[in-house]
Amino acid sequence: MRKKRPARVLFAALLFIVLYFLLFPYPLGRELVARPRWAVPVPPSGSPLAADPARPSWQFQLGNKFGYVQGDGSVQYSGTALYRVALSSTAFVNYTRLGTDWILQDRSGRRLASFSGNGYPLLGPEGSRIFNVKTDLSGIIELDRTGGALWERDFPALMTSVSLQGDSLLVGLLNGSLLLINSLGSPLFEYSPGGSRIPVVLGTAVAPDRSLIAAVCGIGPQYLTVLRRRNDGYAPFASLELPSDYRREVRMGFSPDSRYLFLEGPSGAGLFDPAGKAFRWVSLRGKLVGAAFPVSGRLAAIASSDGGRAQLAIEPPAGVAVSREEFSARELFLGTIDGQLLLGWDGQLARIDIEAM
Amino acid sequence: MSSWIRALASCAVILTAGLPVCALDWPVAARIITGTFGEDRGDHFHNGIDLGGGNQDVHPVLPGELVFRYDEASDYSSLPRGVGSFVVIHHDQDILSLYCHLQNGSLGPERAAYVPADRLGIIGDSGHANGPHLHFTVFDEEAGSTVNPLEFLPSLPDRQPPVIRHVLIAAGDQRQPLENGVSLKPGRAEILAEAYDLREDVAFSWPLAPASVSVSIDGVEVSRISFDSFQVVEGKAVLSGSTLSRGQVYDSSGLLRCGTVELRSGESHLRLAARDLAGNETVKIISFSVHE
Repeated sequence: MRKKRPARVLFAALLFIVLYFLLFPYPLGRELVARPRWAVPVPPSGSPLAADPARPSWQFQLGNKFGYVQGDGSVQYSGTALYRVALSSTAFVNYTRLGTDWILQDRSGRRLASFSGNGYPLLGPEGSRIFNVKTDLSGIIELDRTGGALWERDFPALMTSVSLQGDSLLVGLLNGSLLLINSLGSPLFEYSPGGSRIPVVLGTAVAPDRSLIAAVCGIGPQYLTVLRRRNDGYAPFASLELPSDYRREVRMGFSPDSRYLFLEGPSGAGLFDPAGKAFRWVSLRGKLVGAAFPVSGRLAAIASSDGGRAQLAIEPPAGVAVSREEFSARELFLGTIDGQLLLGWDGQLARIDIEAM
Repeated sequence: MSSWIRALASCAVILTAGLPVCALDWPVAARIITGTFGEDRGDHFHNGIDLGGGNQDVHPVLPGELVFRYDEASDYSSLPRGVGSFVVIHHDQDILSLYCHLQNGSLGPERAAYVPADRLGIIGDSGHANGPHLHFTVFDEEAGSTVNPLEFLPSLPDRQPPVIRHVLIAAGDQRQPLENGVSLKPGRAEILAEAYDLREDVAFSWPLAPASVSVSIDGVEVSRISFDSFQVVEGKAVLSGSTLSRGQVYDSSGLLRCGTVELRSGESHLRLAARDLAGNETVKIISFSVHE
């Protein structure tokens, strides 16, 4: 009799577990699938296009081709850069190497304004702010829609990197200083990270909600410096020593929801989560070409290019890989379209939807 | 100004006296100066010198370490770079040298250390350049200034004096040529002139900024513009030792705003002098009378 009691207890426990899973099944996460929705060739410049200009469109730039494409694959505008193009989500300036007369055009190519400048034009991400970057990188002038100077500022050292979000312009300088400038051209905040043998700013990023600013700075060693907004400016929030030894500008930026920061690294892309101060590397070959955060920022898509081969990694910012593709591409672009991925390669554009199955 | 630059400055003084060279190396073998420090470039002072001479190799002017480079053909950039493909080398004493408009793709593999025998790239016309040339700039980071490279490079033969033409005097909105025998009203007036330097190594007439321009009236110097260096004060580049910004040195038509004089009744003599770094000087003396 004594020997049967443990067996009954064990049987009851097993029965309870089986019943628990039958009565209260745990929902498994649905599988995310990257599904190509359409692929279209980039039309030659000046092609008659049938897109409805009233519908939203998203910018792309693929080599010297640029334009705007709509959610269903209709190309609203396709152009070829005369020398370079200042591109924003709503407007662009296609400019020549030596020209001083610029035309601001909308997503359909219609003239919005024309003005002059001795430097090269730079647009804010939404196209509402126009800058004239002095050709020697010594200063910047913000222009109004008639070409008049709203403000002008010279810097004590060469500009190495800029990042623009709303009314905040973050300028990185050759002397290692970061300068945050407001919409009136006045410095809001100045910071020199230090800690390296040679001070220099190699990359800058402003979070879309302006809660954070970040920079890659210095040579020997190189640091990622993140600063968080305080009432009267920004204060150091995180500093990470990087394994890199870049002596050129580093591609970096924040996700549209300001939750993640990506930056180029020697063996891929770094992803920094300010909420948990967590940093990890996504292994990729070659130079970082772009990062996008589809599905409301639930996923990070990162593209790199290495001698005609492209790599695309799609994964949750803090998780394991969902998808990793490698393909041939001499030219590569990665952006977002209607919350999904917009991929461009060698004269083609494709929308890739991330769907739960 | 850092001790290093001061030492170089003293060497430059020695250099002009014909004593042993102690300065930067030239970055190119064939040296044809087509642009000088301080020229008006529309929205900024020209912050270095331009060197023509065709598609030649560009070398660092001193041993140093690569700080920053950009190749238009391959590198990412968050801003448009009118300097085209360029290289910045960090030297001792926080001196930086900058080499611009290099041929795209000529920068070679990225490396850290450079000596003057190494090639940085090849002269090109990348970026905002009318033709192949090297734009060369020297920064003194310790002093926070951009210095005139010609003061620290070995001197080149130059017997051609600067040119002074079209001297104007402006009071209020009125401008008139300032010529011998002219009669003027008393008060403050500005002297403007077309004053530029020429070099015999440039085969055509190519105006360059002189090293300095001074105005004296009746034997008393009232203003001097020296293109030695400039720095940024409150967000504006000004000539070092002054508060003169580009707009205060050049008018909208490119004339040099040489200085302001106080005109007093009687006969006066104005002396306008333009000097280049080789010591060549051109002086224009204009006698005029001032009456109510």
